[in-house]
Amino acid sequence: MSAYDVMPDMELFQPVTVEDAAALAERLGSRGWVLAGGQDTYGWLKDRAKHPKAMVDLSSIDVLNGIEETDGGGVKIGAMTTLREVSRDQLIRARYGLLAAAAARVASPQIRNQGTLGGNVSQDTRCWYYRRGLSCYRAGGNICYADSPEGMNREHAIFGASRCVAVSPSDTATALVALDATMVIQNTRGVHRVAAGDFFVGPAVNITRMTVLRPGDILTAIELPADWAHAEYYFEKVADRNVWDFALVSIAAAFRTENGTIRDARLVCGAVSCVPRRLTSVERAVIGKPRNDSTGEAVAALASEGARPLNYNHFKAPLMDNLVRRALRA
Amino acid sequence: MDIVEFREDVWGREVLLGVSWDLLWVVLTLSAVAIMVHIVVMTFLKSPPRPSAAGLHMERHAAVDRGFHWIMAVSVFVLLFTGVLPVVGVDFSWLTIHWVAGLILTAAVVFHTLRALFWQKPREMWVGADDFREPFDAGTKPGKYSLAQKGMHHAMTALVLLVIGTGLVLFAMIDTPWWNRSNALDESTLGWIFLLHGASTLGLIGLVALHVYFALRPEKRFYTRSMISGWISEDELRANHDPARWSPERSA
Repeated sequence: MSAYDVMPDMELFQPVTVEDAAALAERLGSRGWVLAGGQDTYGWLKDRAKHPKAMVDLSSIDVLNGIEETDGGGVKIGAMTTLREVSRDQLIRARYGLLAAAAARVASPQIRNQGTLGGNVSQDTRCWYYRRGLSCYRAGGNICYADSPEGMNREHAIFGASRCVAVSPSDTATALVALDATMVIQNTRGVHRVAAGDFFVGPAVNITRMTVLRPGDILTAIELPADWAHAEYYFEKVADRNVWDFALVSIAAAFRTENGTIRDARLVCGAVSCVPRRLTSVERAVIGKPRNDSTGEAVAALASEGARPLNYNHFKAPLMDNLVRRALRA
Repeated sequence: MDIVEFREDVWGREVLLGVSWDLLWVVLTLSAVAIMVHIVVMTFLKSPPRPSAAGLHMERHAAVDRGFHWIMAVSVFVLLFTGVLPVVGVDFSWLTIHWVAGLILTAAVVFHTLRALFWQKPREMWVGADDFREPFDAGTKPGKYSLAQKGMHHAMTALVLLVIGTGLVLFAMIDTPWWNRSNALDESTLGWIFLLHGASTLGLIGLVALHVYFALRPEKRFYTRSMISGWISEDELRANHDPARWSPERSA
């Protein structure tokens, strides 16, 4: 496969309102490409593995930027807010440290300066067979190259595979699911909201998309409710490198404790399935118990229960268990 | 509009992916047109007086065969909906429902084949020279099944066997409770399997549309009733069938 230094020839639209952007995206349909920070986009285009005819650049739409407090003590983050802003914003750090920690672990400082929260949750998978332009299931074909005896599948799914074994590469997705965030989506028919837990789509439901976003849809904002503000948080991302790498496994956890006892909990693992995986059996098991080592020991094995590892990613199951231990110990 | 879908892979080779789903709209349109033309023609044709359902009941379908028919009907509808709805943009977790329905259809077809060969009279479904006189001679009546019914059955048989055969190959390519997916077939072979599976699916959609339409036609509704209750009346038998070619038992 050739990689090119230059962008392919295509039309560029730079709307200044969401309505115009939605109308353009609707008109262009699958021929169009909605551009946020471009950190996922440019690789696709320069590798000539995707061939959109036109690009709708959202960077001139002011309302998509910024972080603001909402009625009821929540926070609304514009989808074009950069990951650097999210990780450094005082309001986010004070109320939703989990999201700030997750955003701070995305890729590298340069990428966080350019990449956006909306782009991070909407990015495509990093399965290299797919990214290389092979006609696999996810690309509309009839085969999975990663799930084969010779397939290089160290980074792939151990849960929820259905023909395709790719995983969600988003670091912030786990935190948003743990915080019960709501994704605000706009198209020409109006605005609708989707819970973060329902925003991500597995291959059993749609094998060619990672999220519910369809051609014509624009993710405009992410809303964080007050329910999980100021909770106890834990975020950890295990990757081969500390910067500029995708997670092998990550965990985002939020706890509400009362007199040392866990009253409510959210634990979400990343990079183990095509969608952020909520560890509901662990969540149920820790309620009413203290947040300490012995609770971690007691419930850790629940995390990887039911995992179906591929040839080269058996390590992900004990890694999940250990991350649960560490989340409860912290 | 394409008939077959190809994709150019990263090395510039054309990879066969399967049937083009643009044809779905062609099949649906053609089926609708055929049904509408038939409705218009039948509106202007003088229809003979409809035979009475009263009187003696003659057995047309045994309970076990009716059971098979409806199991097959439900499984085919489930297969068509779970196969086609994701293609037209309705997202849901369809694959498990699809293969479970496929296995039920396969078991039903195996059962029907064995029963038809060893416990029924397969010759009743044979197409013979007499059958071809039916459309041209109002005096020639069919045996148990008319030429149109036999044609529908044989077309459905061919398509169902094709969709089952290709479906079972594709079934081996996915994870199931009994085995992990196989990568035994290359892309090109899989493309052909998907092409045949998709083409037979499109054919089934057209046939099912026509079958349902004729099952609901007023002059054919007694056949549908017989597929539910098992019987047709003596009057319906005399009006539509040749007792010399088919003389059913009296229904219990």
